[in-house]
Amino acid sequence: MNARRRAITGLVIFAASAFLPSCSVVQKGADVLAGQGKISEKDRTAIVATSQALRSTFADITDEEEYYIGRAVAAIILSRYKASNDEGLGRYVNLLGTAVAYNSDRPETYGGYHFLVLDSEEVNAMAAPGGYVFVTAGLVRRCRDEEMLASVLAHEIGHVVAKHGLQSIKKSRLVDAFKVMGSEAARRLSSDDVSKLTGLFEGALGDILGTLVERGYDRKYEFEADGLAVKFAARTGYNPNGLPDFLKTMEKDKPAGPAAGWFKTHPGPEDRLRLVQAQIAGLKQVPATLEIRSVRFDQAVKGLR
Amino acid sequence: MNKPFRLSLLLAAVLAVFVYLLAETVIVKIKTTDVRREPKFYASSLATVPAGASLEKIGDKDGWIQVKTADGKTGWIHSSAIATKKFDLMAMDKNMKTQASANEVALAGKGFNRQVETDYRARHGEVNYAAVDLMERFKITPAAIEDFLRKGRLGEFGGAR
Repeated sequence: MNARRRAITGLVIFAASAFLPSCSVVQKGADVLAGQGKISEKDRTAIVATSQALRSTFADITDEEEYYIGRAVAAIILSRYKASNDEGLGRYVNLLGTAVAYNSDRPETYGGYHFLVLDSEEVNAMAAPGGYVFVTAGLVRRCRDEEMLASVLAHEIGHVVAKHGLQSIKKSRLVDAFKVMGSEAARRLSSDDVSKLTGLFEGALGDILGTLVERGYDRKYEFEADGLAVKFAARTGYNPNGLPDFLKTMEKDKPAGPAAGWFKTHPGPEDRLRLVQAQIAGLKQVPATLEIRSVRFDQAVKGLR
Repeated sequence: MNKPFRLSLLLAAVLAVFVYLLAETVIVKIKTTDVRREPKFYASSLATVPAGASLEKIGDKDGWIQVKTADGKTGWIHSSAIATKKFDLMAMDKNMKTQASANEVALAGKGFNRQVETDYRARHGEVNYAAVDLMERFKITPAAIEDFLRKGRLGEFGGAR
């Protein structure tokens, strides 16, 4: 063998040894992911089991699982509140919300964003995981223009983007759920496992609803959603002052008696106002409120007036 | 065929595998999305792709990924709709996030899924899934969104900032 040939052989062996081990791992992953079924059932099981074992926090919940959790939370909300039957308003809120969602940090979720007006005089807004956003007629009535309603929807979209709902699921419950799911890798879930998983699902829904409807989010999550609301609204082209404008109406009407709806689940408007106004002051450009949008807002909400 | 020629052929093959590993494939992780003609949500759709579909990444721009579909069409898909780096498992121990993204696809259909929903619904007849289905069925068309933005001077149609 001459020197040149030896050099080429050496290079080939070097290149092959450097990449072969990762090739095999990569190929296995690739085949599973591409669903080509080129690997054995044993390998597939091992990969899924490893994936399940690595799951430990809310961030490991897949978009698809978030969708099923969100659907259930939305279904429970809709068994407590009636949907408004004002079609024009419903369409308008969906256009407005979708426009803001498209300008958020997470425009696409497993099942997409959906917006609904609830036929209730209570002033409230809620978002279920995955993008089910609810606003009450009482809240819409409180908004004076499109910028205000856009800011409220942007705040709720902020909760979805930052997965605040999923974060309210108890950690121990998630760990238990991932453990049961891990056994799914080895075999089909037994009816006992499904039953266990459904129990944990119920528990997770309870955790989320308790936060959404009863206790409210931790203050830091509300401030984070406000920050995202300013960002998303301005990015869409709305005057982000819609949020402080809305908070001011809430400050004025803070009930003297026991709090309900928004007042019960949100921190005092004063602290939020201070932070939001500071954030807006730091923006390079602040879009202006446009009359043309206020006109269509008035048109859309006329059924509530 | 002489030996050096065969060896360089082998070398070329090894290099080809290397290049293949560098080529990124993205996988759709949401129920369904569109490969769009331009990097914006109301651009016309070239193809509708379901969860699990894999596409070749050829570029990116402002949160949008330029992809090539299996039948050779080139278009744009939003980064929030996909799991990335299927082949970059070499980065696995360096970056858990990459791995989580790949797991997202490996775990498709597992865990809290339709089966769990069915079981839950059987236990809770009072929960109003019919209203959620109705809420999901209401669709806003890309043309309607574009019209809404244009008339409201929002997004790319915005004027004075």
